[in-house]
Amino acid sequence: MRDVYSAVADPTRRQLLRLLADADELPLHEMTAQARMGRTAVSKHLAILKEAGLVVDRKAGRETRYHLNATPLREMQDWVSFYERFWTERIDRLKDLLEEENE
Amino acid sequence: MSINETVVLDVELKSPIERVWHALTDSATLSKWMLFKSNDFQPVVGHTFQLRDAPGFDGVIDCDVIEVDKPHRLSYTWATGGESDQQHATVVTWTLTEAEGNVTRLHLEQSGFRSDARQEVGGAKYGWTSMLDQLQSLLAPA
Repeated sequence: MRDVYSAVADPTRRQLLRLLADADELPLHEMTAQARMGRTAVSKHLAILKEAGLVVDRKAGRETRYHLNATPLREMQDWVSFYERFWTERIDRLKDLLEEENE
Repeated sequence: MSINETVVLDVELKSPIERVWHALTDSATLSKWMLFKSNDFQPVVGHTFQLRDAPGFDGVIDCDVIEVDKPHRLSYTWATGGESDQQHATVVTWTLTEAEGNVTRLHLEQSGFRSDARQEVGGAKYGWTSMLDQLQSLLAPA
């Protein structure tokens, strides 16, 4: 399964997630229209979002419809664990910086 | 709801306390490790500053300096996402302690996370995770 963090790292994919968050379900053509992007590009991004478990698709007649699955986002909504990660990374960088100064 | 949670981190740095203090309070040095490329930080109580221009994060962090006790303690508020999020501002506090051999113990606390804030899904959070991700790829060995 693809990492949720890398799936949402791309601004286009975040845009698609927002579109899906505002609607119950969308077919591909509506997303391409709203995102003002080509079919191929949207499909590619949707595939990545699907791998991360953020988007679920289902066949409805001749078209495929997509909807948001927000469950994997729960981890990212946890501010405490988010900032633990953030500050650990920041302090590591600070450490490196101070060591560079020592050299 | 008023249940608070806190992030706590401790680290030992092989640098004298003045150097660590400088890295935490000098605007130009801050921009080198804080991810945000620009800031108007000043170590002055009551000074309001912003952290801006982090890769992948289109938001701004609004801060307000609460305590400056050179070179031992620095504290500021930390609010993401503009006015609507002010009520969810947290407090970042750095405590520096001198140890033997030019070592500085650095203690970080970020407090004031409200449990109800965790239920919200906002654009700022997507931005943050994007930023973290880019950071990780930056730090990953080539």
